[in-house]
Amino acid sequence: MFSSLLRGSTIALRTASARSALRPVAAISRTSLVSPLRAYSTGLNRDDISARVIDVVKAFDKTTASAQVTADTHFAKDLGLDSLDTVELLVAIEEEFDVEIPDKVADEIKSVAEAVQYIASNPEAN
Amino acid sequence: MTGPSRTQVLALYKQTLRNANGFNNYNFKHYFLRKARTQFRDLKDLKDPAAIEKAFSAAQRELGVLKRQSVISQMYTFDKQVVEPLDGKKTQR
Amino acid sequence: MLRSITRSVLSKSQRPALLRPRCYATAKVAFDLPLETHTDLQKAHQDLADARANSSEVVESGTTALKHAYQENTGFGTRPIYLDMQATTPTDPRVLDTMLKFYTGLYGNPHSNTHSYGWETNKEVESARKHIADMINADVKEIIFTSGATESNNTALKGVARFYKKTKKHIITTRTEHKCVLEAARAMKNEGYEVTFLNVSEDGLVDLKELEAAIRSDTCLVSIMAVNNEIGVMQPIKEIGALCKKNKVFFHTDAAQAYGKIPLDVNEMNIDLMSISSHKIYGPKGMGAIYVRRRPRVRLEPIISGGGQERGLRSGTLAPSLVAGFGEAARLMKQEFDADSVHVKRLSEKLTNGLLAIEHTSLNGSPDHRYPGCVNISFAYVEGESLLMALRDIALSSGSACTSASLEPSYVLHALGKDDALAHSSIRFGIGRFTTDEEIDYVIKAITERVEFLRELSPLWEMVKEGIDINSIEWSGH
Repeated sequence: MFSSLLRGSTIALRTASARSALRPVAAISRTSLVSPLRAYSTGLNRDDISARVIDVVKAFDKTTASAQVTADTHFAKDLGLDSLDTVELLVAIEEEFDVEIPDKVADEIKSVAEAVQYIASNPEAN
Repeated sequence: MTGPSRTQVLALYKQTLRNANGFNNYNFKHYFLRKARTQFRDLKDLKDPAAIEKAFSAAQRELGVLKRQSVISQMYTFDKQVVEPLDGKKTQR
Repeated sequence: MLRSITRSVLSKSQRPALLRPRCYATAKVAFDLPLETHTDLQKAHQDLADARANSSEVVESGTTALKHAYQENTGFGTRPIYLDMQATTPTDPRVLDTMLKFYTGLYGNPHSNTHSYGWETNKEVESARKHIADMINADVKEIIFTSGATESNNTALKGVARFYKKTKKHIITTRTEHKCVLEAARAMKNEGYEVTFLNVSEDGLVDLKELEAAIRSDTCLVSIMAVNNEIGVMQPIKEIGALCKKNKVFFHTDAAQAYGKIPLDVNEMNIDLMSISSHKIYGPKGMGAIYVRRRPRVRLEPIISGGGQERGLRSGTLAPSLVAGFGEAARLMKQEFDADSVHVKRLSEKLTNGLLAIEHTSLNGSPDHRYPGCVNISFAYVEGESLLMALRDIALSSGSACTSASLEPSYVLHALGKDDALAHSSIRFGIGRFTTDEEIDYVIKAITERVEFLRELSPLWEMVKEGIDINSIEWSGH
């Protein structure tokens, strides 16, 4: 019902709600749409990505200030994050790079390196 | 009746956080993030299956509210608040 | 989120046509129209900033002062931090969500009992009433909807007094009540009633002995507020209730600032009438309620006569959207009571400690018997109004919103025995559900800086620093 409302509505609302109301549509377009036209949004440097991911992890409430965060840091083993914390951290990373990590992929991301790997492979990240 | 699986709870948590982040209003956004955190921590500590089921469906209902209201918050926007960085990227918390 | 909208609008336009879902003509027409409607506050600030820049040579001192009205760190927004929760609270998005359906389809008159439009709305109204009653352990039939706490207070004072006018002629209240209670009491004076205005201690608390001594055989009503709107002091409601019960007088409490924020139980506290406001609990404005006890029954003469809605005590068609929003707000106050209390208390302690660390500051009202969400602090040797002017980036009030239009010092602080100067230099901080740590940190820093700045401008402050006792100065009369 809501989606039909949105379809008849403007693009702006549809995209505004891409992260919320129109999840199914957005998810499809995100995953199936790996088009060459998207090249304009790539160009993120791998070192930059790594530095930004580390910043997000460091800023995360549950991370103890003393913890050393490097590219090899494992969320559970090194930082002691539980499953809820990890979800929260991944959402923070999503926010930082303006992407949405599909659930299946997100389940596999358990360290800084894996997060960086995913962001680098995602052309929508910025 | 079986309760929600671990994956279901985590997926719901993720959706809740994402939609809380969707609020354009600084205060609402931070409130719902804070609330989600405590709410799901509490849910995790529940032992009684009936209580878990109840808390889970309550959280599902609340997600519906968040989805609608975060979209509305994006439609009726106001200037950023004095403690809010303008570029939106917020690595410092 | 703005960024995500603009970004995706851009990316959509570059998306290959075949991947676009379906393109209706309507969608095409609206293609470039963003759905977002922005209320620009920045504009007003920009104008002010421009004016500042242009007049820099002319009014040198003014600009220096204005420069300090903002923490001019670029890269941050301009909308002020809202710390005036006693004036009103932001509407909770969950409340709005409940209200919207009344503007989109549920438009029946809840008093129409011949068709389903009326029934469905009535059902929502009654479930809202239940939520409001549950918060204070009342029965649903004891909740009467009004237009707000002002109407509730008027209904209580005028209604009860008028109903019992043949035998009772006396009302007791305090000097620190909200203006609407004081004014309603004064109006009853004109109708021939006697009113006793009790004094409060310098803590802002009512003396129970004094109250008991004031009760007479012809006293019909004692009206004492639960939480003060200016200083946050919490009166000993339970003790007052017991005293009133013992002396067989009705007890009304104005709980506009207390409902949902401190534990209230009408039975345990022997409350006969209670005024409640919706917009102080993150609900819609223009809505309130009065609790009227049924057993033993409190009788009152309605102020508004009409079709006999609300047990005949308040006629007129209800506004179901406001009622439902109010109900949801009350339900949330109950659901979030523990979480909110902990949050507000923690931030309040942080703020109080931070501000009292500035020298020559003091907390007004009892430090122990208080609702932590209301902090009233005096900054000696600083004029309150100029401090507010210097704090454009924080929304605050020097007194209650209703009286702050006048420059008269607060009558509440006067009742506490504060002198004019201190009453003038006090500011009220309201903390609520949506206040964040970041905001409190900002406020502490901003106030510390600007109090210091304003004091540097003050000749009084110079004397204080030199150790001159200000009270010993004999001011010349010209």
